[in-house]
Amino acid sequence: MNNSDDPEGLRAQVRAWLEQNVPRDWRAALTGTGQEAFVRAQREWFGRMVEAGYATPHWPAGWPGGGRSLAEQKVIYEEIARADAPRLILFFVALYHSACTLMEWGTPEQKQQHLPGILKGQIWCQGFSEPNAGSDLASVRTRAELRGDRYIINGQKTWSTLAQYADRCLLLVRSGKSEPPQAGLTYLLLDMKTKGVSVRPIAQITGDDEFSEIFFDDVEVPVTDRVGEEGQGWAVAQSTLSSERGLTLVELTQRMRYSLPRIATVMRERGVLDDAALRRDLGGLIARVDASCALADRYLLKRISGEEVVGDASLVKLNYARTLREFTLLGMRIGGLESQYREDFCRGGSQETGNWPVDFMNSYNWSIAGGSDEIQRNIVAERMLGMPREPKGWQWPGDRA
Amino acid sequence: MNHAVTAPPAADPRDAELKELQDSARQVLVAQGLAAEEGKTWPLVLELGWLLVSVPEELGGLGQGLAGACAFHAELGRGLCAAPYAAAMLAVDAVCQGKLADQQGWVERITAQEYVAAPLAPSALRLVRGRLSGTVTAVPSADLASHVLISTADAERVALVSLRQKGVELIARSTWDGTRRLFDLRLSEVELDESLLLAGGSAAQALTRRLSTLRDLALAADSVGGAEALLDLTVEYLKTRKQFGRPLAGFQALKHRCADLKALTAGAQALLADTLARIGGGIDDAEAEALARTAKHLACSVYARTAEESLQLHGGIGMTAEHACHLFLKRALLNEHLGRGNRDAVAIADRFLTGI
Repeated sequence: MNNSDDPEGLRAQVRAWLEQNVPRDWRAALTGTGQEAFVRAQREWFGRMVEAGYATPHWPAGWPGGGRSLAEQKVIYEEIARADAPRLILFFVALYHSACTLMEWGTPEQKQQHLPGILKGQIWCQGFSEPNAGSDLASVRTRAELRGDRYIINGQKTWSTLAQYADRCLLLVRSGKSEPPQAGLTYLLLDMKTKGVSVRPIAQITGDDEFSEIFFDDVEVPVTDRVGEEGQGWAVAQSTLSSERGLTLVELTQRMRYSLPRIATVMRERGVLDDAALRRDLGGLIARVDASCALADRYLLKRISGEEVVGDASLVKLNYARTLREFTLLGMRIGGLESQYREDFCRGGSQETGNWPVDFMNSYNWSIAGGSDEIQRNIVAERMLGMPREPKGWQWPGDRA
Repeated sequence: MNHAVTAPPAADPRDAELKELQDSARQVLVAQGLAAEEGKTWPLVLELGWLLVSVPEELGGLGQGLAGACAFHAELGRGLCAAPYAAAMLAVDAVCQGKLADQQGWVERITAQEYVAAPLAPSALRLVRGRLSGTVTAVPSADLASHVLISTADAERVALVSLRQKGVELIARSTWDGTRRLFDLRLSEVELDESLLLAGGSAAQALTRRLSTLRDLALAADSVGGAEALLDLTVEYLKTRKQFGRPLAGFQALKHRCADLKALTAGAQALLADTLARIGGGIDDAEAEALARTAKHLACSVYARTAEESLQLHGGIGMTAEHACHLFLKRALLNEHLGRGNRDAVAIADRFLTGI
């Protein structure tokens, strides 16, 4: 069943499967419920997706569901979006970041130790960002000191998605002093149950807490849980960060297009379906959504044909993030005063749930996380348009002394 | 992990041919310089056979279809070309689609020597007892044309009308866009020559819709080409111009604005390419018309935004007549109002809300 040369045949197969298997009324079931219900629903959906082979199309041949071409993966994601199936948010880091990093850098023992666990539903989180290393990831300060056959970790990570549920963590630490700062980084696989690890969820502006801080107090990690060599962490982290490029935004742009009727719904509810000014705004938004879809789609085609250039991915993300913001703002504006009263929100319901203020607040995920808009603009300006790089080593005048 | 990437689909030799044609068109236009005179570029368009690009092979053309036409529209947009290529291409297409007695002869004439014009906006022509009256709006370079392509307002007739006859009045309209010359044609009781009728009844309805689709695509491609060229020009300027001891291109405030423009133009370019692929893949005419309208709306708004920003980014020099910035800006503003004009966004929403 894998390695089909017929993406359209696969499409029919995936579509039929989703029709049978997407939980009925899952949105209603996850609206206004706590995170525990969300985690249960995610586990259940993950199990079904893994069994069908649709959670791991990007894994190499030989793994369950693996060996799919990029064109086939695209078909699967398009169908998932079309079916409005739940996103596997809780397992995203495990399925993409961890698996892709291990496939590329892991030792045979590491792969054997972790990949089957991921298929069984092990939850992973990412320990990259720190309070003083956000966009500037090379500034990571969490220390790893080698003592015998273990590293001793001290420091703090932040913005780790759903880390409060994670079994393991992809951890980027500083193991040595060096110039450039990238060269002193090392990449570890951490068992979250290790003594000295504590997790504190961060209360977000939506009232949810999808992110956590992780604190490390003399945490011991065996050297055998290092990925790559000591000092190679930056290169390993690049694999982690590039594992998701393309497919996620194909899925999310398609979901955005399928969500456009929610704008029509709120216009109908508010009795403003015939408002010409709102229609003008909606028409403009539809064009932007179509362009975001086309750009994500053509980016993936470029990857398939090997024509991708540096900066292409940034253009896709910039377009998506901006269009999503406009989408949610329009929903909120049409909602009027009613939209300003608190309503329960749907967990795991993607970016355009129809709870416009929450959707709007969550849209910042896409312009800040995964390389902020400002970082993407630097990449486009410097690497595509050939404009000069930012000068380094800038100081406040008063700091020179 | 490396994704299991499939081998790219076997390259269509036609794509390679089109790429070559497009490259050579760019070279020719670059050699002429930005916004070169119509008196130079129009003879080149004819001589180099650019009007044949989407003519079917059985009629002696290159058979490159809509994608071929749009590749050239984009190049002419890049070069701010004054030649009335978009209008001529509409007439050529109508002749290829229509039922003229000497179709082959017409195709040869109007792709190699004679200009048949077409309006870039909808017309308001009535046909009463075999006679046409009303105004044909926004016809480029009508003074050079032998005929004009018309659709009646009810889309029941599509025909060519000779401009050299009684009852046809040409009114030159001086536009802010200096790269094109538009005319209104006032027709008073002009007899519809049955031998120049291209389509009637439902065939005329379909052809009118097709022409409006092609016109939107031409304007979209012109706008994408123009926006890309102008952004290149602006970035080059910022790299050259120094203030405060460094090139302006080194200031992040300006870099980010350029990056945003790049993201917008990439979106417009992708939507146009996607639209062409969908239409080429075979969809119904109403769907094609709607997709073209969306691509046109987006491309024109991106072009206008790029032009507006570029003038600001150029500073004082952008306000001078000697610099090309204003030529792009004015062409962009006119493009927004051509086609079916600035009601596009509302029309896109109307169609969406009707369809759900």
